[in-house]
Amino acid sequence: MPNTAKKLVSALALGTVAVAAGCGGTAPASSENVDLRMTVWTSNEDQLALFDSIADAYIADHPEVESITFESLPFEEYNTTLTTQIAGGNAPDLAWMGDLSADLIDSGALVPLTEAFEGTEGWGYDDLLPSVTGEFSRDDELYAYPFSNSPFALYVNTDLLAEADQTLDPANLTWDQVSAIGSAVHTATGKGGFVVNDFNYSSWNTLATVWTAFGASAWNEDGTECGFDSPEMTEAFTFLHDAIYVDESMPGPGTTADFFAGDSAFAIAQVSRAGNLDGSFAYDIQPLPAGPAGDYSVIGQAGMGVLQSSANVEAATEFLAFLTNPENAEKLAQYFPPPRASLQTGEALAANNDKFTAEQLQTVVVDQLPGAVTLPNHTNPAEVAQTGKTALDAMWAADADVPAVLASVCDAIDPLLAK
Amino acid sequence: MRTDLAARPAPAAPGRFGPVARRVALYTALIVLAAPFVIPTLWMITSSFKPLNEIFASPPSFFSDAPTTAAYAEAFSFQPFARQYFNSVYIALVVTAITLLVSALAGYAFARIRFPGRNLLFIVVLVGLLVPSEVTIVPLFQMFKQAGLVNTHWPLILVTALAAPCVLATFIMRQFFIALPVELEEAARLDGLGRFGIWWRICVPLAKPALSAVAILTFLASWNLYLEPTVYLTSPELFTLPQALTRFTDPYGGEMWNTQLAAATMTVVPVLVVFLIAQRHFVESLAHSGLKG
Amino acid sequence: MTDTRLEPREASDEAPRGRAPARRARFWTLRRTDAATGYLFIAPQLIGVLVFVVVPVGLAIWYSLNEWNIFTGELEYVGGGNYQAALDDPQLPSVLGATAVFSGGVVVLNLVLGLALAVMLNRRFKGAVLFRTLFFSPVVVSVVAWTLVWGFLLQDNGGINGVLEQLGVDGPNWLQSGPTAMIAVTFTQVVRSVGINMVLFLAALQGVPGELYEAARLDGASSRSVFFRITLPLISPTLLLTAIITIVGALQSFAQIAVLTEGGPGLSTTVLVYYVFQQAFSFNDIGYGSTLALMLLTFVMVLTVIQWQLRRKWVFYED
Repeated sequence: MPNTAKKLVSALALGTVAVAAGCGGTAPASSENVDLRMTVWTSNEDQLALFDSIADAYIADHPEVESITFESLPFEEYNTTLTTQIAGGNAPDLAWMGDLSADLIDSGALVPLTEAFEGTEGWGYDDLLPSVTGEFSRDDELYAYPFSNSPFALYVNTDLLAEADQTLDPANLTWDQVSAIGSAVHTATGKGGFVVNDFNYSSWNTLATVWTAFGASAWNEDGTECGFDSPEMTEAFTFLHDAIYVDESMPGPGTTADFFAGDSAFAIAQVSRAGNLDGSFAYDIQPLPAGPAGDYSVIGQAGMGVLQSSANVEAATEFLAFLTNPENAEKLAQYFPPPRASLQTGEALAANNDKFTAEQLQTVVVDQLPGAVTLPNHTNPAEVAQTGKTALDAMWAADADVPAVLASVCDAIDPLLAK
Repeated sequence: MRTDLAARPAPAAPGRFGPVARRVALYTALIVLAAPFVIPTLWMITSSFKPLNEIFASPPSFFSDAPTTAAYAEAFSFQPFARQYFNSVYIALVVTAITLLVSALAGYAFARIRFPGRNLLFIVVLVGLLVPSEVTIVPLFQMFKQAGLVNTHWPLILVTALAAPCVLATFIMRQFFIALPVELEEAARLDGLGRFGIWWRICVPLAKPALSAVAILTFLASWNLYLEPTVYLTSPELFTLPQALTRFTDPYGGEMWNTQLAAATMTVVPVLVVFLIAQRHFVESLAHSGLKG
Repeated sequence: MTDTRLEPREASDEAPRGRAPARRARFWTLRRTDAATGYLFIAPQLIGVLVFVVVPVGLAIWYSLNEWNIFTGELEYVGGGNYQAALDDPQLPSVLGATAVFSGGVVVLNLVLGLALAVMLNRRFKGAVLFRTLFFSPVVVSVVAWTLVWGFLLQDNGGINGVLEQLGVDGPNWLQSGPTAMIAVTFTQVVRSVGINMVLFLAALQGVPGELYEAARLDGASSRSVFFRITLPLISPTLLLTAIITIVGALQSFAQIAVLTEGGPGLSTTVLVYYVFQQAFSFNDIGYGSTLALMLLTFVMVLTVIQWQLRRKWVFYED
């Protein structure tokens, strides 16, 4: 055969051989040689190293477990990639989850954990704060361990406040005060007043950090009735709309004002974002300002759970119980505000945090967690978020009719809430 | 056969550049037009040397007061960026090599060999060009999952080298071979060459411009692939560059803008430099690829 | 394959009627051998398209007839349910409208600008090569990086409005109102991809024989009529090819929309391909996503067939 023909045949063969090669399928997992895989959205090497070291300690005592891998998926595409894996029958054994948790729990994709945790000696199930387990529970059954519970707080750029001759009165911290100071800072310096981090005129669920102050909520307890057309919500959005278009205390849509780059006086952001403070300006941190409905606190959460589709549910659950036991929970607390009451002291948190003092952490984390509400979460989160956003976009114009836009948000998401 | 495009006298308007004013107008128009083509890339490069807090400074500036290369170091320490660079390069090279072979064979056959069903089969192949990847990505994922090839480079290589970008290549090759004088082949036949001989010894060497065009377009298609690696690959050491670019986020999902810009610069600049060096050859390749529709 | 003597191509068209009976009896006639070679040559490409395009499209049709619970992996046959849902979808008309405006805008601007640049640069002057390179350079920049940078520049307090302010113009908040957001995504897409068309047009312009211009000039034709009467008809085959490639590309522009506007504000820049992605990958409604994707495929096919049919009307010559 001539040389060219050989090449041709090999090219032809390439497609078929390659497809045939993998057709054997994967062998069913046995109780020996267990390989566990957990999807995470961090790619931070220190955090991954911590998880690896805990996994190594576990493997040392459990010879049947061959390996435990932590697979980092990008945060932006985490939900998409995880669901694609689940749909493709390639689901991990364990997974981190954010707003996908409701879907996973309600579709029965997660393994119940309460019994396993309670049955593990020294695990201390009662140590978990009730306020942080609600989001991951159904009928008192826990489906994911809330390993990260980061309260939202008010970051203050004290340099900018000083430049505009403004002082914050922490004793009477209200949204009206924040807006007034923000407006003064904007007038005096041209910088932004207050920003809600990550909102970007798109992720409206982060505005819960504001509307909760007015006593509003996105929907009722069981997620069946829209709350956007309530008088409280109208009041909250009237406040925001005025802040943008009348007082100019909140940067409008399309204006980048990054607090951590020194572009705004205040930011509503999670305590865990403190790592972004680079020391280029003087800062302070306060609990969220009070509103008409009084004091409140809001947290953003992440959980870890075991998937029912795993071939090694038992081994995976046992490992999760090890990963989250008091000893390891303390290690995880270096990076993630913990759910355990025993770890909740300002000193304990300050030991791993060089941005804030123990007192600051006591006020903005420890004192907030017990009474905190979570960001609004619903089954089918992406479609609810997107559909709501499409309707809410009309709000961000100077001449918007606030009640009418809010009513249209309800019209848009009602069919989804009813599902 | 080959003419230098730039050196060719202006056929549209000989002697048109008499008045200086006309020339000034031309340059002004070109410079204004070129701004949106050039400034974003330049801004990306200069901003990659800025500290994070300067990137969003308003009004935006071109150059930093305190330039730093910290973001470049960060790009390599944050994830296996060198490995990811290698992945992108080798995948693009393999895909390009397979595509050259497959498209040169198929393009020649569709242009020159008569066989029953040729036109129908050509239309079937062309359909491959028109199907958006969004239609096929979910079924393909299922198929590769069945074959145990998820989280390997096989899907990226096979689909790119045999489906849509390769179909465009086959189309380009067919157009080129159709335009090739048939007498060359007839002479070769008289010398006793068979189809393979004619294809390999006569036609492929003559097709260099078209092959170069195909090589460049295929390389870029593979190099810029974004949706597919995101779906198929999950291990950082297997990632390709466009996918790796979106992974520069802090533990809470916040974008590490300066690191992203530094990494983006590193992915863009080498390709840009190669293009700048080879651009004369590149444009000529496309010009002589016989791409006349 | 060792049979090296081949009839000239034209001869192989002839039926073997006139041949000697002895040769007719042989199965591997030259014609058959040649045909077999042809099949062998196209086999890798054909198999590739069948396996990686045709089979997946078939599967997508199957998915579109089902409701797929992504978490439990259960498929439930719903027949035309997803197609009915598409007819009832209140958002779909806006999406189709945005798709038409975006694709139409991209195609027209891309062809006009590509041709204009090619005509300007198809002459000999200092810097022609440099400008050609500059206009082509965005093609080699990755879509994600390119769009990200434009996202910065198009902010209300971003670079573009900064420049406009210097000129005394109060720039609009580009990405925050429907019409300007559409202009922005169209413009960035055109600037990124027009380089390819420019080069293809340059190539085509090179192919126009100089004598034709000479003759036209001697007849006293104006440069405008030379362009419309001679240049344009002669490069019309390239125009057809670039039009097809550009339309297909425009209908598949995903990253640009995802990074710049996320389809907003409202639905103003939600084009069909982005909507498909949302349904299938964000909302996990693979059945409905597949239905919409097949709709997109139908559009592409119909448009291509129409163009292919119309080419007889306006394309000057073909092979």
